[in-house]
Amino acid sequence: MGEYRTQMKIIGDILSTTRDDLQDENGATVTYLIRKANISHSRISTILKTLVSQGLLECGDSQGSNRYKISQSGREFLEAYKSFTKFADNFGLNI
Amino acid sequence: MEFLLENILNLIGFLVGLAIGIMAYIGFRNTGSPTLFRLAIAFFSISLGFFVIWSGYMIEDFLIKSGTIERGIQTVGIVIQTVGYFFIAFSHSIKSFFPKSNYFRSVGILPFFLVSTVQLEHIFRSISFILLVYGAIETMLSYRDNKNKGAVSVAVGLALLAFGEFLGWYSFVFPESMLYSISMTIKIGGLIALFIPVSKIPLKRIKFDDDLDKI
Repeated sequence: MGEYRTQMKIIGDILSTTRDDLQDENGATVTYLIRKANISHSRISTILKTLVSQGLLECGDSQGSNRYKISQSGREFLEAYKSFTKFADNFGLNI
Repeated sequence: MEFLLENILNLIGFLVGLAIGIMAYIGFRNTGSPTLFRLAIAFFSISLGFFVIWSGYMIEDFLIKSGTIERGIQTVGIVIQTVGYFFIAFSHSIKSFFPKSNYFRSVGILPFFLVSTVQLEHIFRSISFILLVYGAIETMLSYRDNKNKGAVSVAVGLALLAFGEFLGWYSFVFPESMLYSISMTIKIGGLIALFIPVSKIPLKRIKFDDDLDKI
């Protein structure tokens, strides 16, 4: 059985992928993110829309498909997320 | 001696609780995580509880000079701390701490009208003990999953606070013994153990950003 992931953990996984594990410099496609973040298409669409509207991801168009790259705000959010994940881990909790 | 230890404990409790609470609140502002929000409430309550008791001792020492702290103030401080311990335990998924039926709810509040503040203090000390033990066990169990050494330190801290709470409660049986002073010392050790892993979290690059609140 797979490990339960909170919404925050999924967002962290998506941002980590767009920062550290890109296919190429144009950014990651939705299909690539679905595979890496292990999440359904309908769910990732909503999350990506929110992340783009919040300025954490940048959405570009390359070879006829949307490509996602992490923004500066996204990098800062990811740093904060990682620090506070460690903080919550100390209390045996997930953020 | 006991008075001095009590003052040191309450001051350390206030500062440690405040520091962890602020850290959790910054985390909540940055990530919007409800877990961090609950932790912030927990540690602000613990901090406030220690502060109330510390204020009680200061007022007694400089103004009233009766030689003993006002029992009501001590009880209020312990109740506020218990709220904090409840939120730590609640974060570990206590889903139904209060009885659900209306009958049991009404019976549940009866003791507040039947007992004196001294008895209330013992009731809340025992509730704090149970919540702290629960929090310590859950935190220790989490070590199996994440292998985070900080979790061991927090679990030890919560366990020491629980043991200190137990000895503090038990000392009313032997009021003239060293038990209460030992309980104070153990609780100070517990607070320090709680703070050690949290103090190692790097927060240099984290700043508030209102746009991230909606995530």
